[in-house]
Parts: sequence; C-alpha cells; structure tokens
Amino acid sequence: MVRKNPHSDISPRLGWFTLAVIIVMIALGVVPQFELFGMRFERVDILSELRENENEVVEYEADIERLEQELAAMEILDTLPVVDSLSLLPPVRYEWIVEDETCHKRASLRSADIKAIAERCSVAIEDFDTLATSRFERFVDKLASGEGVRIAFMGDSFVEGDILTSDLREQLQRIFGGRGVGFVSCDIPFTTVRRSAKRASSGWSAYSVMKPKSAPQDVADKFFVSGYLAKGGVGAKTRLASTQAFEHLDSCTRARVLLYSRDTSSVEVAINDTVINEIEVAGYDRMREIYIEAAAIESLTVRVAKGDILCYGLSLEGGEGVTVDNFSVRSNNGHAIFGTGAMVNREIDELLGYDMVVLQYGLNIMQKGQRGYSGYRKQLCDMVAYAERCFPNAAILIMGVSDRWVEGSNGMYEPIGSVDALSAAQRAAADSTNVTFWNTAAAMATYGGMPEFVARGWAAKDYTHINFAGGKRIAELLTYAIVEPVYRRVERREVEMQREAEWQMLKEATINVRRELNMVRPSLDTLIMRGLK
Amino acid sequence: MAWEWIYNSVKALFDFGDEVLERLVGLLCYDPSSPLTLTSGLFLFAFFLFGLGYLAVRNRSYLRTLYVVIFSLYFYYKLSGVYTLLLLFVAVSDFLIGRGLYRRRERGLSGGLYVALSVVINVSILVYFKATDFFVGVVNGLYGSGTLDWESVVVPAGVSFFVFQSIAYVVDISRGEIKPLRHLSDYIFLLSFFPKMFLGPLVKAREFIPQIEAPKVVVTREDFGRAVSLIAGGLIKYAVISKSLGMLFVAPAFAGEMGDSGVVALLAIYGFTLQIYCDFSGYSDIAQGVALMLGFRLPDNFNAPYHSATITEFWRRWHISLSTWLKEYLYISLGGNRKGAFRTYLNLIITMFLGGLWHGVGVTFMAWGLLHGLALALHKVWLKVVPGAKALGADMKPMRRVLATLFTFHLVSFGWLLFTAKDMGVVADMLHNIAYNFSIEDIVPVVEKSVVAFVVMALGYLLHLMPRGVDEALRRGVTSVGFVGQLVIMVVAIWAVMQCNAMLAAEVGAAAGLPIYAAF
Repeated sequence: MVRKNPHSDISPRLGWFTLAVIIVMIALGVVPQFELFGMRFERVDILSELRENENEVVEYEADIERLEQELAAMEILDTLPVVDSLSLLPPVRYEWIVEDETCHKRASLRSADIKAIAERCSVAIEDFDTLATSRFERFVDKLASGEGVRIAFMGDSFVEGDILTSDLREQLQRIFGGRGVGFVSCDIPFTTVRRSAKRASSGWSAYSVMKPKSAPQDVADKFFVSGYLAKGGVGAKTRLASTQAFEHLDSCTRARVLLYSRDTSSVEVAINDTVINEIEVAGYDRMREIYIEAAAIESLTVRVAKGDILCYGLSLEGGEGVTVDNFSVRSNNGHAIFGTGAMVNREIDELLGYDMVVLQYGLNIMQKGQRGYSGYRKQLCDMVAYAERCFPNAAILIMGVSDRWVEGSNGMYEPIGSVDALSAAQRAAADSTNVTFWNTAAAMATYGGMPEFVARGWAAKDYTHINFAGGKRIAELLTYAIVEPVYRRVERREVEMQREAEWQMLKEATINVRRELNMVRPSLDTLIMRGLK
Repeated sequence: MAWEWIYNSVKALFDFGDEVLERLVGLLCYDPSSPLTLTSGLFLFAFFLFGLGYLAVRNRSYLRTLYVVIFSLYFYYKLSGVYTLLLLFVAVSDFLIGRGLYRRRERGLSGGLYVALSVVINVSILVYFKATDFFVGVVNGLYGSGTLDWESVVVPAGVSFFVFQSIAYVVDISRGEIKPLRHLSDYIFLLSFFPKMFLGPLVKAREFIPQIEAPKVVVTREDFGRAVSLIAGGLIKYAVISKSLGMLFVAPAFAGEMGDSGVVALLAIYGFTLQIYCDFSGYSDIAQGVALMLGFRLPDNFNAPYHSATITEFWRRWHISLSTWLKEYLYISLGGNRKGAFRTYLNLIITMFLGGLWHGVGVTFMAWGLLHGLALALHKVWLKVVPGAKALGADMKPMRRVLATLFTFHLVSFGWLLFTAKDMGVVADMLHNIAYNFSIEDIVPVVEKSVVAFVVMALGYLLHLMPRGVDEALRRGVTSVGFVGQLVIMVVAIWAVMQCNAMLAAEVGAAAGLPIYAAF
C-alpha cells in the first residue's frame, strides 16, 4: 500500500470538492418533502437564488418615515397661498353636472328595520380603540344617522373578481342605501372575470404595484392602493358599464374618473354612450378627478383625446348610502401598500373620503403547522400605521385569515394548523394599533368551517379559495357584524328619544296640573278661610 | 417510467425561464437587500468559479495576489456597494503614508506626523459612520427634532475591521516592527482578503505578509480536513444553533413576548450568551476554513471563551484578534503598565471603555465597556492582594476552578445583557424580574413554549463544555475520512442549514439575518 505523503500539496481538491458539493446539493433537490420522527424536512433548492420565479413579486418594506415626509410636504403645498395664475394651482376636481341630482339625506333608520339582521350576528367586530370617539364609532354613527359611507376593501386573490365584496356591497346597500359598483381599475395587466361590472379597455399600458420594476419611473411612485395603474396616450379608452348581476348596480347618479396628467391633456367622457363632453385637464403634479352627476348612469366611457395621462380607475356610485371599492391584488400579503404613493393615497382620500379600510390578507403566508407569526404581526402593524396616515378618517378593519385545509400525506384533507396562530397575530396587531378586527375563520366555523364550505359547493376543492357562493355567506356574516353595532346605536338613540319624549310629556303634565291648581286656588282659599272662621 | 421521472426532475431543476440573463446580471450586481456573505447559497457557486481561476494562478505570487484582490473587491462590492471606494481610499492612503513614514525613519527622522495623519483619517471615518447618528440624535433631542437634518447612513460592512488593520500597519512601521509592502496590491490584499473581510479575524501585517509573498501555496491533507471541519462546524454553530436559538427564543424574550418572569429573563441572558458566541465564532470558523482551503492561515479568534476562570483569561479567549489589537495599539499607546499601578488600572478601564464605545455610541455599550474595564482592573488588584490567586484557570485547583469559571461566566453573561439590550430600561426590567419575580416553576411553560430552542441551547452548551482534546480528535477524524467522507460531512451541514432556515421561516415567518457582529 502506498503511503500518502502528509505534506504534499492537494490544492486542486478545492475545485473537485466544491464541484462535488454543488452537484450533490443540486441532486438533493429531487428529494421531496418528508417527515421523520415527527419532524418535517423540506425539499432543498440550492438553485433558488438563480431561478426566475414566475410570480416573483417585490416584498416592500415599511418606510413610515418617508411617508411622513411626503405627507408633510403635501401639507406645505396645501398651505401655499393661491396665486392668481390659475395654471399653477388649478382646481383638482372637474365637475360636470349633466342633471342636477340633489342628494337627499336618507331618513333615519329605525331599529326595528335592522333588529332581525343584528340578532344574527355571532362573531362581532372587535374594536380595540376604547374611546367613544374611535374611528369605528364614527363609522357606526354615520351609518346610524343615514349618512353615506365609503369602504376601501383591500385584499388578495381571496376577493379577486369581486368575490365576497359584491355581496357585501349588495347587502349593505339593501340596508343603508347606495348604488353602483364603486371604483374599478382602468386597466390591469392580466384578464379577470368580474360579474359586478363590465369593463372594456384598449390602448393602455397597465402596470401592477407587485411588479414595479416593469413600470417606468414616472409610474412606479404613483400607485394607489388599488394596485393597478394604466398609462395611455391619444386613443386609449376604457368603458365601464353597469350589470344586473347584483342589486343596485344600475341607474347610478354619480360617476368619477381618477387620473393624473403631468402635461395638459384632454379627456373625452361619455355617459351612456350618448352624452359626450371633452374636458381639458390642466397639466400639474396633482391628482385629478372628473366628477359627474347625472340621472341613471349605466355606462361611463373615458378616452384620451390629447396628451398622455395616468388613469387609476372609473367609479359608478349613487349619491348616498354605501359604496364599496374592491381593491384586490393577487399574491399581495399587504406589503404592497408600502409601494403605493402616500401622496396619491391621501389625495384620492381627500376626493373620495374613505370611512373604512378593510385589510384582508394572510392567506398566502400561511404554512402548514406554522405556529409563530410575530414577524408578520409587526409588518401588519406597519401596514396599519401606513393606512392610517393615508386614510386619516377611516376606521381600519383587519379581517382575520379564512379557514384553510391542506392535503395530508394520506391524501385526505386536514386543517392547515396555522389559522388560529395567524388569526391571533392579526388580532394582536389590531390590539396594539387600536384598530378593529373581525375573525373570519371563527365566522366560517359557524357553518362548520372549510370542509362544510367545500361540501356545500361554496369553496374550491383546494380547500383554500372560496367561490361566489362562499363569498356570499361570509359577506352575510360580515354584514351582520357591521349592522350589529349600528343597531345598538339606533336602539340607544330611540330609547333616548323616547325618554326625552316621556320627559316632555311629564313636564307638560306637571305644568297643566300646576295651571289647574292655580285656577282653583282662589276658590280653595275662600273655602279654607270659611272653614277657619 | 423511471426515465420520464428523471427527465422531469432535471427539467424542473433547470427550468430557468426566459429572463435568465437579466436575472444573472441582477444577481451579479450589488443588491442591498441580499448582501453576499460566506453563508449565502450564491457564495458556493462564486467560490467554485473563483477556485478554478485560483488553482491556475496559485503558484505565481504576483498574479495570485492580483486575482484574489480583484475577487475580494468584487465580494466587497456585493456586500457593501459603493463603499468599495472607501476601502480603496483607506488602502491607498495608508499605503502611501506607510511608505513616507518608512523613508523618514530611514533618515532617522520622527514619523509622528505621519502616524497622526493616518490615525486622524481612519478614526474620522469610524466616527463619521458610527457616531454621527448618535450626536444628531442628542442635538435634536435637546433643541427639538429637525434642528439637524440628517438621514442616517448605511455603515459599510466590516469598516472597523479594515480601519483597525490599517492603523496597525502604520503603527507597526513606526515602531520598526515591519517594513512597508512593496506593491499596493499586496496591501489591498491584506485589508480586503475576502474570507476575513466581513467579520475578521483582524490579521497582523507582520504575520500575514509572509503568506502573501510566499512563492507557492501548500494545502496539505491535514489542512483540507481541518478546513472542512471548520466550515461544517462553523455552519452548524452560526446558521443552526445561533440563528434558531436567537429567533425562536432570545429575540422574542427580549421583546417581552415570552412573559416577564425572572426565569425568562435569566434564560434569555444565558441564551444570548451562547447565541453571540456561536454566531461570531461560527462565522470566524467559516472564514478560517475558506481561507485555509486557499492555503492561507488566519489566526484563531476564539478559544472556548466560557471555559475562562477569570475575566483576564476571558479576554485572551474571546475575540482574540480584537483584544490583542486593543492591547497593542490602544492600551500600550496609552502607556500600558509602565506608568505605575494606578495608571495601569486607568488605562485598562479607558481601553475597555473605548472598546465598548466602538461597538456603538450609546449608554449600554459604554456601561458594558466600563463593566469589563473595572472587572479587569479589579482582577489585577485581586492578583496583587490575595496570596495564591491565579490569573488562569489551568493553574487553579479543580474545585476552585469550577467556582471561578461559574463566576466569570455569570459576569460575562450579565455583561452581554448590557451589550444586547436596546436601552438601560430593558436592562433594569430584566434585572428587576430576576431579583423580585423569580420562581423556578415558571420554567415549565417557558420551555414548553419553545422546546426546539432549549434543545438547541442545551446541545450548544454541551458542545462548548467538551474539552479541547475532543475538538482536535474530531478535526483529525475529518482528515482521515477522505474525500467522500468530507463531502458527506459538508453536504449534511449545508442541508441542515437549509432545513433550519425553512423551519425558522415557518416558525417565525422571517428570514435569518446577518451575523450579530455585522452591526459593528
């Protein structure tokens, strides 16, 4: 046997060794996930850093400081004195009143009208702001007193295609009034099916906040929480038409177009394809809104006639009641809000006036058996902080993650085991930021959870995504949860009014008795005097 | 069937999509969100490609130096972006200062001004990056926020390491201990050699220069085995023990998510004590192993520090290269022990205080530095006053040694509390809980809450308790198992790290971050 010289140089082993390590590690990539002694081992992928991920999306980091700076800058801009040159600070809203549809304030609700709905509430909205002046209390007040409210429903693929939100909209409008589908993005970079609105877009370049690298620089910092932005030149066109898939979607009385025009441009707007108006938009670095009042709006068409614009979306609404905007962004865990422009959000909020912002996220970050979500909880707190600054008057509602089951090793579906942990983290985030929380999974449990949803055909066979039928159930449960505090408020008001009325009656009765007493007093006095004598 | 399976597997593995080139370019550029470290997956591929070229030039010292310098600068660029220019600036300025200084010394003139210039340049870089935030904070705190408009800067990776080495180089020339290097590339090599770039160890010019100038590199079988065991062991210590312990227990405990019992506080302190050791020494071991595969020997940075029986011994076993640097260039420059007993104690305290301050300008680090300075000074007094007192554990009787080791361990652990707490309020809370809120039965729910972390902690301390001989035997073992055995060891270590990362992502929902010491 040849004895190896212990002092010889074996430097080349470096090359062979690293090559062998790489090859073996790549080969290990074919070993699937397995379990041993109760521990789960994942498939390893040493090439993951090199592989192009089809759905690669940017994970935004919270930058509250930048947001504060932007908002501070905006306030300075707002307080600048208006100089006489109109081209410098033109009005932000272009009004086009086709037919003056005065908006009547609805008559106040009666508790008897909504008692039955409120009593069905089994899982209530938890408000962690205990002050009577909390933004959720204000939201409830507005609903109770018949004022209009606008809800921004931000979510992931769970509510894509207006699942859940279309039913929520229908039910809230049935109770509190209101019409129309609300905000619909001008154009999005992929095709979706949406029953609650018909949109036909052409000529735009559409960008998503989840892939900001593919967007030009002047677009990338202009995203709204809707998540999509369309850039278009002359000829770019979108037609939004109402449907009758749900109640109250037709015969709208208000329409809006939200856009942004750096240089002067001209936009052609048509109502019901017949009434047409060309509006010149003065170029300036601020949000623009074309605001239309008319009777029975069934379609709204916008076409760029001159120049370039960034168009956010079109909106069909009623002049009163509830408006629900569906802002679903696929595979967004909520981080995408950090990629939206703070000033953009704030400006649109000033125009539309949101009263509630729903954050429905978390389905995509759940992993089987995961028990800790402290990292996500912190991110969620940042998201709430960001949303609060962008929408300063809105109540924030964190919607808990929905129930989800996954396929086990034996092919049977079993609970993913992390729903409670993630719900708890979401609830904790609501607690520490003093906002509201609604436990979706607990609400679904009143029907028996995800297996029952699948069994009744309310959810897809992946035991993850609900369909329209399932969305309808959850929307009902959420509606009950929203109506319940409104009912209590109305009932309290009625009790107070009744007390007030009784008090008034008592007061009047007392006065009457006194008056009658006074009338009989002289004769009484003479009687007494006589008796004394 | 089998062929189809293999075909599909291979296709799935290499299914890169269309934008592979764009992606590759993206990978090769600096990306602040994913700095390249020795434990990145990308490093394995980079190291392989680098290794091929290195093997070709390894026995031509000038080409070898140039090749390694270029790769090291690229590595630093991937780590810290534009700050590569700062590294080059420090290298060029001290290289020129060193030359000028040497010329003056040869003519018998004083080089004081040169040394002062180098110190001023280097220290101002350090102060700028480390202290500006603190002073701006103080001013804004005093005069209202916004008094000074300042956006905090990103600190360049490893800035203190190359700045310290550069000061040492100039001072060594002025002390006549070394001659200046002939080539600028040699000096950049000294500062930027990529395995030690990020977290050290600091190398001394007089020990490293002969290796740079050696005509050929030699990696023996024993060296290679040692390198494999260093890297594999380092990966386990750094990426498995430290990361899982830190993310599963220590970080939540310090954030108050584990409750506020005394047991939690005490366990968090013990946990961090192990975490910071495994984190720092693990990464240093990997650096040493990678360098050794290339034929370069970096000095040991740790030597079972929690075996120390006295605080003096601790500082000979912990972050050895930094404590040596502090001793040689700070303590001795202050006068060391040559100016009487009182000045010796004072110098010790000043040295440790500045050493603490170097970690970050803040009250906690100052307190940490003071604690160690005072402890070192008191220990010096103790050695003088108490008859039979020993400086090192090896000289003590067994029983005494055990007690002394336990005492030193707790002194150091509670020191780490100061080191890692975000402010003195946290320190006060935790000490309060340990003193007044301690009941041993609380331990059950805490351990139940994060079983994995405590298994890891027990394992980590057990490994640390092993006598030195076991370590050496393991190293020899790795050498003797040959190529295939070493391959298996390395693959198992990398696989364990990847599983651990997946587990942490599932449990905590966050990716494992950079080493703790990357912040310094």
